[in-house]
Amino acid sequence: MSALERVRYRPRPGDLAPYAILALMILALALLPALTQYTVRTANVYDILQNFASYGLVALALGITIIAGEFDLSVSSMYLLGGMVAVLTGVGSPFLGILAALGTAVVVGLLQGGLIARFRLNSMPVTLGGYLVVLGITYILGHSKSVIYENFSVGLRLDKPVLQIFSIRSLVSLGIFVVAALVLRYLRVGRDIRAIGGDRRAARVAGVTVDRLLVGVFVVSALGAALPGALLSYSLATASPTNIGFDVLTFSATAALIGGVSLSGGKGGAVGIAAGVLSLSVLQEILSILRSPDYVSSLITGGLLVVVTIVWAPDLSRWFRTTRLARSVEPERAPS
Amino acid sequence: MAAALGRLGLERRSIRVPDVALAAWLAMLAGVTAYGAATTTGFLTVSNMKAILTAAAFVGIIAVGLTVIVLSGNLFSLALGQTAAISAMLFLYTLRLGLAAAIVLTLLLGLAIGAVQGFAVGAWRANPIIITIGAAGLMEGMAVWLSHGQSIVPPASETSWQHLAQPVFGLAAPVYVFLVVTAILAVAMHRTRFGRQIYLLGENRVAARAAALPVTLLTVGAFGIASLYTAGSGILIGATSANASLLLTGSYTYDAIAAALVGGNAVTGGRGSIARTAAGAIFIATISDMLLLRGYSTGGQILVRGIIVVVVVVLTNLRERSR
Amino acid sequence: MNGERDPVASPGSRSRSSGGAVLLEVVDLSKSYGPVRAVRELSLDVRVGEVHAVCGHNGAGKSTLVKSLVGLVRPDEGIIRLDGVELSLRNPLDAQAHGIALVNQELSLVPELSVEDNIFLGGLDVPLLYRRRRLSEHARRVLDQLGLRHVRLGTPLETLSIGERQLVEIARLLVRDARLLILDEPTATLSKPEIERVFRATRDLVAQGRSVIFVSHRLDEVFELCDRVSVLRDGRRVGTHEINEIDRGSLIELMLGEMEGALAQAEHEHAAPGAGSEVVRIERLHVPGSVDDVSLTLESGIITGLAGQVGSGTSTVLRVLGGLVPEASGTIEVRGRKVLLNTPRRAADAGVLYLPNDRQREGLFLGQSVYRNLTVTRLRRLSRLGVLLRRRVQRTARELATLAGVPVDRLGSPAASLSGGNQQKVLLGRALELEGTALLALDEPTRGVDVGGRAEIHRLVRVAARRGTAVIFSSTELDEVLDLADVVVTIFAGRIVSVVPRAQASAATILANMTTSHAAGGVAP
Repeated sequence: MSALERVRYRPRPGDLAPYAILALMILALALLPALTQYTVRTANVYDILQNFASYGLVALALGITIIAGEFDLSVSSMYLLGGMVAVLTGVGSPFLGILAALGTAVVVGLLQGGLIARFRLNSMPVTLGGYLVVLGITYILGHSKSVIYENFSVGLRLDKPVLQIFSIRSLVSLGIFVVAALVLRYLRVGRDIRAIGGDRRAARVAGVTVDRLLVGVFVVSALGAALPGALLSYSLATASPTNIGFDVLTFSATAALIGGVSLSGGKGGAVGIAAGVLSLSVLQEILSILRSPDYVSSLITGGLLVVVTIVWAPDLSRWFRTTRLARSVEPERAPS
Repeated sequence: MAAALGRLGLERRSIRVPDVALAAWLAMLAGVTAYGAATTTGFLTVSNMKAILTAAAFVGIIAVGLTVIVLSGNLFSLALGQTAAISAMLFLYTLRLGLAAAIVLTLLLGLAIGAVQGFAVGAWRANPIIITIGAAGLMEGMAVWLSHGQSIVPPASETSWQHLAQPVFGLAAPVYVFLVVTAILAVAMHRTRFGRQIYLLGENRVAARAAALPVTLLTVGAFGIASLYTAGSGILIGATSANASLLLTGSYTYDAIAAALVGGNAVTGGRGSIARTAAGAIFIATISDMLLLRGYSTGGQILVRGIIVVVVVVLTNLRERSR
Repeated sequence: MNGERDPVASPGSRSRSSGGAVLLEVVDLSKSYGPVRAVRELSLDVRVGEVHAVCGHNGAGKSTLVKSLVGLVRPDEGIIRLDGVELSLRNPLDAQAHGIALVNQELSLVPELSVEDNIFLGGLDVPLLYRRRRLSEHARRVLDQLGLRHVRLGTPLETLSIGERQLVEIARLLVRDARLLILDEPTATLSKPEIERVFRATRDLVAQGRSVIFVSHRLDEVFELCDRVSVLRDGRRVGTHEINEIDRGSLIELMLGEMEGALAQAEHEHAAPGAGSEVVRIERLHVPGSVDDVSLTLESGIITGLAGQVGSGTSTVLRVLGGLVPEASGTIEVRGRKVLLNTPRRAADAGVLYLPNDRQREGLFLGQSVYRNLTVTRLRRLSRLGVLLRRRVQRTARELATLAGVPVDRLGSPAASLSGGNQQKVLLGRALELEGTALLALDEPTRGVDVGGRAEIHRLVRVAARRGTAVIFSSTELDEVLDLADVVVTIFAGRIVSVVPRAQASAATILANMTTSHAAGGVAP
């Protein structure tokens, strides 16, 4: 028997977690009628998908940067800028407004990604600065006030129910998710993104064009934040420089993490993230049916995020092992 | 700062680079101030200088506490704004038990909140950014829940807290607190075993572990101190506003982080100092003040702050690379 | 290794290539790193379809040769020809484009990706929509060839063992049509069946007309697998033989050269075991995948040297003592008490002072001053109520620097600015004269240090031992082991091969024991 046995590496727990959590949430929703007087109607499903439409793509955007081994802190203000640009430029033609918002996103993404790739910077402080810059621009464009979007009909059209539960907004989001899922899984680009997040050194040695990919990832992330922001502003017929009461960043991070995206990079996919977003959307809907005050949502989302981060923590199992064993054998302290 | 380094005797962090960098930093601050004085009306007045210091004080106290987290290599905390708000609320609420009790309880709460986050990061290597995002959400929920969504006001019977907001010799009390606690922490980081170990931990976590440094305890300490200082600032904010709610969160989180980064602390840890952060806080307050006097809007100020952060982060990285 | 054998490939009936066409020619390769001449006028040739072994002791020039061939290093002089065409290799991608590929300990695979993804990772001509059937079939064929029939293309790489991952790395190189594969110590961390698989794959490769350079210190495997063997010593090639024209003894002699005689005499007085008191007792130490059934007794004042090559488990034993291997099982007693060394803190509390072998990554705090690096292990002693006693800290740092031979004027400089040798001295310095230390565990104490520096470090270690501390160190270099150790323990494939007091050790037996396992007839003391 050789001293060198095979060391099998256990796959990370929770590859099925996103779907389990989603199933749990749906179950909770389904159980509601039994516990309250409420009947779950198609209007609720519509609400859930609307919520998905409003924030899902941001979670996808953030998720992709995490999969690539980075973190884009600027998504929450890019969201707002997208809305502001779209409203300001889209009065005559909403398409123009959307295009302008996306164009702005590309510029921001190129700048952030370019700095991070060129100078090999840690993405957190750079995107923190980016967050401030983008937020500042949003304020300036709107003169520190909310801006009304005159063209109310656009919003109505975007939100008009399609097949009872969908709307143009949610269909756009779902469509983009499908495209993202296919790209990440079947295209070389998708695999390379996971490679630079999983082991950047190995990817570079193997010949992956790391720098170009990094810039691309941050462009995608900015786009993914700007588009839903623009659409939501049309839907609400307002663009605002603040988002009081709801933190897009927390929502996106939680959705991405319970969606199976690993903080150490290289792991995660669009389908999982979609499940994560849906789970949180179902949760919001349940809370709204129960007429829960807003803070419950904050509590649960924040709590979920803390729990998921601890479960994914790399040294968790080692810590358990070393403290439990220690209780059985007490080491003698050497005189020092 | 250079003098402080000299006092440490043999010890110089490296041969020449930080002296040059620090001198450059101070030169930049001086240059900007001079430029501002020359071109901005109303800048070079005593009352304006006081305003700058006061503005810097609240953020500065949080920022110097945060610096311990940065130095320990754990990036930063995104929960500090909420911690400040919740501390202000608790302080005003517990004033009914007396000023001393209110202060002690609030500081203890701050310490506990930070320590718990620090434990997850230190013992289990949980991602510090995400943990603090989650903690922020939890704190927001708790704050609204416990306060029933209303602002907290101090009890009518108790007025001792007003001293905390009074000007002393013409300068608002928080400014003195800022200077004092900054000095205390700066000395602690340079002169205590804890401080030394934090620098080593931030420099190389793996080596710190192999050298048997108490990694978990140090991380708990770093997050605890940051949160403690934030709670202290929250107390002062509450006393100054005479009213506390989650609206107080404002931009403290990002401002504090900006102060630490702009001071030139390496976000990867191990290099930098408390003094740098204090300089960064004052610098940002100076710039914001100048912009305000020149009529820049809120947006403009935020934008400039963001640009400064990005520029400094790039420069800091280049400096580190050239060593 | 007597598993089932492919009849074509068994020795004797295999056609050992003799006088086949030449694929690779290396002519007068020279490379110096400052004053150190790693490789000088090295000439070598590799034939088409052969497995060519390159053997040599540490520092003989093997790694420089390999790095030159794959473009990681530009030689100062010399020519490299492939198929008669002179090559100028600027980087590894260049080398790959010419069909030269390297597989070594550091794999360039991404664990989070699937096997198939890794195989096609970064390939220059992999199309955008790369999961086409044709490519998958190609990958499948290659994997089958390498004996990985049971591994599905979609399996995440991280579920595979290290040996299987190595084969996936080879698969990637085959898919890119490598003509010359260099396997640098490929079997160090593999189990027997995995080694068999690699061998079978290698034989198939050469049957297809490719060539393999097999760099290894494991002589059994060299004899089993290779057609010819070249021995390097002091940067030169000192001999090339057909494998059936040489035996193990002569091979070892070639590798040792004059060292054999010179090392026979111990230059320093070595303490004899049995004189000191027992400080540390290790019993049946087991680390899954690395070390098995290791039992040692370490006495005060005695320097025990663990001699073994990379991957043999010597470092692991020391890491266990340093508290960095919580999954280790077995018993360890320090000063008569059973201790659980599953965290570095517990190891330090028990009196074990461990110095890691990767000083840049795990040992030093490169951006911090030398002063801080020297005092990191004794901050508690140098402070009262948590406050550092500055004068005492400075004095201690100066003393340690002087003791360790680090120039005192560099105390304020960052550790990164010191030379490799001085850095190692700083690392050692922090372990000296620390009260309460029962055991010094030094993992490769003179790695990357020149001869002069090595002598100084050895002297320091001896001084520490004479003061009563037990010392255990690991080394891959024979001359270091023979110079420093009072007791020589040889380890191969995670098991102890022999334990010999220095007085009774000979260079040849030690080297033999480091390069072969006991079961295969390794030479016992």
